[in-house]
Amino acid sequence: MARAERRAAALYHRLVVWLLFFILLLPLAGTLLYSVSTSWSATILPSGLTLKWYLALWSDARFLTAFGHSLLVCFGALLLSVVLILPLLFVVHYHFPRLDGLMNVLILLPFAIPPVVSSVGLLQVYGGGPVPLVGTPWILIGAYFTVALPFMYRAISNNLLSLNLRDLMDAARIHGASTWRAAFLVILPNLRKGVMVALFLSFSFLFGEFVFANLLVGTRYETLQVYLNNMRNSSGHFNSALVISYFFFVLVFTWLANRLHKDLP
Amino acid sequence: MSFLTVQGLHKRYGATPVFSDIDCAIERGEFVTLLGPSGCGKSTLLRCIAGLTDVDGGTIRLDGQDLLPLPPQKRGIGMVFQSYALFPNMTVAQNVAFGLRMQKVPRAERTRRVEETLELVELSALADRYPQQLSGGQSQRVALARSLITRPRLLLLDEPLSALDARIRRHLREEIRRIQQELGLTTLFVTHDQEEALTLSDRILLMDAGHIVQNGSAEALYTEPASAFAAGFIGHYNLLDAEPASRLLGRPLRRRVAIRPEAIRLGTGALRGEIRSRSLLGNVIRYRVESQGVELWVDVLNRSAGDLLASGQVVALEIAPEAVRELEG
Repeated sequence: MARAERRAAALYHRLVVWLLFFILLLPLAGTLLYSVSTSWSATILPSGLTLKWYLALWSDARFLTAFGHSLLVCFGALLLSVVLILPLLFVVHYHFPRLDGLMNVLILLPFAIPPVVSSVGLLQVYGGGPVPLVGTPWILIGAYFTVALPFMYRAISNNLLSLNLRDLMDAARIHGASTWRAAFLVILPNLRKGVMVALFLSFSFLFGEFVFANLLVGTRYETLQVYLNNMRNSSGHFNSALVISYFFFVLVFTWLANRLHKDLP
Repeated sequence: MSFLTVQGLHKRYGATPVFSDIDCAIERGEFVTLLGPSGCGKSTLLRCIAGLTDVDGGTIRLDGQDLLPLPPQKRGIGMVFQSYALFPNMTVAQNVAFGLRMQKVPRAERTRRVEETLELVELSALADRYPQQLSGGQSQRVALARSLITRPRLLLLDEPLSALDARIRRHLREEIRRIQQELGLTTLFVTHDQEEALTLSDRILLMDAGHIVQNGSAEALYTEPASAFAAGFIGHYNLLDAEPASRLLGRPLRRRVAIRPEAIRLGTGALRGEIRSRSLLGNVIRYRVESQGVELWVDVLNRSAGDLLASGQVVALEIAPEAVRELEG
């Protein structure tokens, strides 16, 4: 291809990307602008800029509580999934490789069954009876565990497959480690990357989860998304500040995940 | 009693036997090779001795001690894998130190012995590298150092050279032999490569389909193959059935016969043959010669280009009677 032609193509490609970026960014930029304006109704540009909505938001006890709830529920679910999935994956890959097929079907279930449907089921089971969990953060941690499961399982599973699990275990055992120590010293440190990526991915996803949170717990343990929903009738500026704060938080997290992905050896 | 004795060892996966009735013995300080085609059970046998695979019957004794009840980490055995199996999260020095760390050897002694062992495999300069920064040959030398540092009673090498390219393979082969002799290590080496087996070993155990079919020195295995399988696996033997062999050699034979290609001389003798083709192997020229309706491989030392025989040329040939080996079965 001629040089000029190549340059034209490059320009075209860049143009398409920037255009797409612009379209995607437009509503976010609008929201951002709205969240820092004093009022913006009958004019093209806002009448003045202010940070008062952010100040109001970040000094609202209810918001901070909801934020804390969201963090707690997400971290709880992620902790639970790491504690359960890591040993599970190890056992599946090391002792029962055939179970991997079954697991691959199981981890599709959270995708196959919409949250609304499984919420109804969960409400039935945990609404009363021996374990009345509905309305407590515990049921959210459990439900979020199922949501995080596919991400965690796939990411860590890929990481495990890229290791030579059997030979590494054999080598560690031959040179004096018990199965437990071998798993702990030789396999676990090499799963760091997969685990971190899975955690960040799941976190960004769970942090924005609304359906389970609203149906299973609602205002009894208000999370960020439920709070956002409950505040929909208040000032638009205030809500914009909320949305931007939320996006910013997730953005930082995603950026961290990417950094980790690149930095780890 | 020998240093390592294996008696009546059985192993099967489901209904398929991997090997059965394996008997062998290795003396202290001996370098023994398990040679066989892939799938003959040699690697599984090695893993059974290491304790990485359970056996279905038989006994394994090392230095008078019954190994079977012991887990791999208590057997006092070192092992090197074809895939190197270096721990990716540890540096070269940490990899090598692993066995000592498991034995809770104090740090100062550990450091000293790591240095010593890295020197032995000539890798002192790379102590702080990570496995992914090493070449295949370097990786395998680290793996060797890792298994030597605990001064194992027995060293097992599972096709350690198979993943390396030819030049590195030859070099590392010599290294392994040098270190083995320097330390007087009892070593069991698994390979499917006959050249490796012939150059390295004090003794070769030839395996086929789950049985040890021949047990002897490299010379014995090469010059006196016990069966058609051994003759076919080692060297480049001419394998002839009884009837064409009788015709060629002019005397009645009742069994299959193996003739080494370098034991046939061209240019002298009573037999007449016609050159069919030739291939240059480097220092050796391998001819395909037809005589008495029998096609033979004949290896001749490549002395000078002028001596090359062309296809279609008729030559005299002579087969030394002592090079003709009648096979059992």
